[in-house]
Amino acid sequence: MPEITVDARGMACPGPISALTRAYRNAQNGDIIVVMATDPGFEPDVKAWIERTKNELLELKKEGEVIVARIKVVAKK
Amino acid sequence: MTKGLAIIMFSGTADKFIPLGVLTQTAANLGVPVRIFVTGFATPYFTKNKPQPRFPKEFEDMVPHLMKGLEKIKAPSWYDMLKEAKEVGDVKVYVCSLIAEALGLKKDHLDPIVDDIVGATFFMKETAEYEVIFI
Repeated sequence: MPEITVDARGMACPGPISALTRAYRNAQNGDIIVVMATDPGFEPDVKAWIERTKNELLELKKEGEVIVARIKVVAKK
Repeated sequence: MTKGLAIIMFSGTADKFIPLGVLTQTAANLGVPVRIFVTGFATPYFTKNKPQPRFPKEFEDMVPHLMKGLEKIKAPSWYDMLKEAKEVGDVKVYVCSLIAEALGLKKDHLDPIVDDIVGATFFMKETAEYEVIFI
């Protein structure tokens, strides 16, 4: 299954979620999207996006200043 | 989650266009439909000959700091946010027919981001179940 990396470091709200949405549009069920972001609102924002779109958040971690979200695409119709 | 956002864009100062862009793009990212009704002093910014954005006088002293900050974080313009929102989501921009008539604007004068010139009745019916935001 392909892994898509989205580098949203330095982007401000709603930039990282917009970048994730762009990647999600071209993704298929089973794909993994890894988003790296530094926006301080990214953590609650990505959780809200997951809840709304019904995809799966595999991992959410902080690596220094960078928040990394690992998402499994499961809700594409 | 709301069924949709009905944003009435009335104000003509640059600061008010920031939430327009952010809310519209966020809604599009979440799959929430957005209908924007452009009226009042916001209307000239949706024409092909857009005026220079201006800030409200009472916050003039804050503008340089804000502009510098927005530049530093490379925040996209409200226009680019709206454009992208239209690409990824169900977003439509309507110009109020009353104000279009008052300003002598025809469809040809409007920016391509505008979908149509409509009346308030159409807008109210189309957004009957949406949450309304007045900017």
